[in-house]
This record gives sequence, structure tokens and C-alpha cells, in this order.
Amino acid sequence: MQEIISDNNWNKLGIYPIVDEHDIVKVRSIVRQHAKDFRMGIVEQTRITTAISELLRNMYNYANGGDVVIESGQVEEHNALIITCIDKGPGIEDVELAMSDGYTSGMGMGYGLPGAKRLVDKFEIYSKPQKGTTVRIMKWK
Amino acid sequence: MENNLDFKNAKERIEHIEDVLSSVAAGDLDKRLQTDIEDDLTGIEEAINILIEDLTYELKQSKKMKEELEDKLNKIQEQQKTIIQQQEDLLELSSPVTKVWDNVLILPVIGTLDSQRTQIMMENLLQKIVETGCTIAILDITGVPTVDTQVANHLLKTVTAARLLGADCIISGISPAIAQTIVHLGIDLSSIKTKATLQDAMLFAMKKNNQLFEGKIHLEHKEQEEDDK
Repeated sequence: MQEIISDNNWNKLGIYPIVDEHDIVKVRSIVRQHAKDFRMGIVEQTRITTAISELLRNMYNYANGGDVVIESGQVEEHNALIITCIDKGPGIEDVELAMSDGYTSGMGMGYGLPGAKRLVDKFEIYSKPQKGTTVRIMKWK
Repeated sequence: MENNLDFKNAKERIEHIEDVLSSVAAGDLDKRLQTDIEDDLTGIEEAINILIEDLTYELKQSKKMKEELEDKLNKIQEQQKTIIQQQEDLLELSSPVTKVWDNVLILPVIGTLDSQRTQIMMENLLQKIVETGCTIAILDITGVPTVDTQVANHLLKTVTAARLLGADCIISGISPAIAQTIVHLGIDLSSIKTKATLQDAMLFAMKKNNQLFEGKIHLEHKEQEEDDK
């Protein structure tokens, strides 16, 4: 598991705090708008919005909220929409286990993290117990 | 030109200044110093008077502002009450369960399904199932833009609860994009009857209705025949 590093050449589109459930809805529709502006099709829009919804819910349910950074930039020769979720929650003890289908630590279905990974083109996760978790998803244009 | 300071009066005047200042400190702003004698002390006395004037003015201003702010605060608090009231009303309104046909209930879901709303939605639906005795309920999610695992989980729970009361649920209005997303997420909704459109769901419900009622009528008919014998 590698620490997630940002590229300074990326274009910052916005940073939003997640405090309550309404923020999830708000940020989700902002992401959908960015996907639209990126000229993604309706299926791709739905995918990235659902993926971000999963991550934001995790953040809200388990880490008491956090911050979301939306960027666009060049990644591996792709024009990408990059969304990074940063929280200072309890962290994930076993990331590999959390990434497996059907495993849940709470009341969920256990498809949140692995499902989100399948919905996007690139998925990075970095977690340190007691320090917090950072998840970054990317979708090619 | 200023006169020389009269030491005889000076002590008295300084005491007076002290007097006035202490009453100002106590909050009484009506007292002023007399400035009829012109000498070295006059400047100080006048300055103190001006200071008291200014203080009176500022105090008045801040009192006025305080009142205005309190007024505004009251208004905002009232508005907030209205907003909370309306939100509660909206929550009730936003999950209407209606009987559209014999034995068929419809629950159109529009917007976002958060945990609070799902709770009310489920309560409304279950209540209505008990009240009407309907055995088919259609949950139309055409107006739900995002179905993530939490929403799917809520839907599954609602369907399971309805089933416990003897009602079968049909979920309609899953768009092609949402269908693909659900598959990628890995959610298994195969235990639920789903239809693409509300129309399909209605047709399915009516067909099922017909089978049910025909069966019933048939049975009653038979029973009657047996009675006749």
C-alpha cells in the first residue's frame, strides 16, 4: 500500500467538507455535474456518481466526515477526473479484507469499497489505523 | 487668555471631576462638568464633557443596534421554525403510498433516499399494507438518480418487511445506466421482482391480480357446486 501523492499540475476544481448527510447529496450532484462537463455518457456519469456516493457514505458513517477534493488532470496519458476523499477517522485495519466482496464492518452490504473500485478506471487507497483513510478514484475522459 | 489657576477652587473642582467620573463609571451619563471659569483645568473639564457626550451617543447607537439584531434574530428563529415544519411536512409528503387498483399499492420514490426518508417511506408503506390489505406493492424508483449500496440495502429491507406482512413488492423504473451500475457494484437484487417501467409493473400486478381473483372465484364456484350437491 503506497501513500497517495498529488500531482501539482492537476487542476483543482473544488474542495468540499462532508459534515452531514446533506453534504453527501450535494457533493454527489457536483461530481455528476463535473462528469457532465467532461462529456461523459449517462452510464459513465452514473458510475462515477455511485462510486463517490459509496466513498462519501463510508466517510460519513465510519470516520465522522472528512474532505473531498475534485481535480482534473493528466494521468497515465489519460485525461482524468480525479476525486480524493480524505478522512481522519479510525482507519482500516486490513485494507485487503475491506476490499473483498461481502465483507462489512458495519451494517452495510459489504459491496461499497470493492464495488466503487469496479465502477472507476483507477482506484487507490491508503489507510493508517488511528490516523485516517485516503481514497482516490479516477475516471478517464 | 486663560486665567491663572485658582488653587482654592482647584481642589473643589477636581473633587467634582472625580464625582462626575465615578457616576459615569456607575452608568449615569446625565451629569456634566461646569466650564464657566476659564483656566488650566477648563480644557480637561471640556474634554471630559465631550467624552461623556460621545459615550452617550455610542451607547444609544449600540442599544439601537442590539434591538435591531434581536429583532432579526427573532425573525430568523421564526423562519427556522417554519423551515423545520416544512421539512417535516415534506418528508411526509415525499413518500405517498396510494392504492391505484384493487389489491395494488403504488409508492413513487423521487429524489434521494437517505436513512431518515427511507424510514418514513417504509413505515408509510407497511401501514398502508395493513390498512388496505393489498398484497401487491409497486415501488417506482424512476425519480431516484443514484442507487448505491445503501439505497439498495434500504430497498431490500423494505421489500423484506412488506413480505413479512404478506405483500409482494415490485420495483420499477430502473434505468439502463442504474442497472449496469448495480451489476458492477455486485449487488444481488434477484430476490426482488423488478420491472423496467411503471407500466410493466402495473401490467404484471394486474395479471397477478386476475390469477388471484380468478382462482378465488373458481374456488367459490366449486364450493357452491359442492353445496348444491
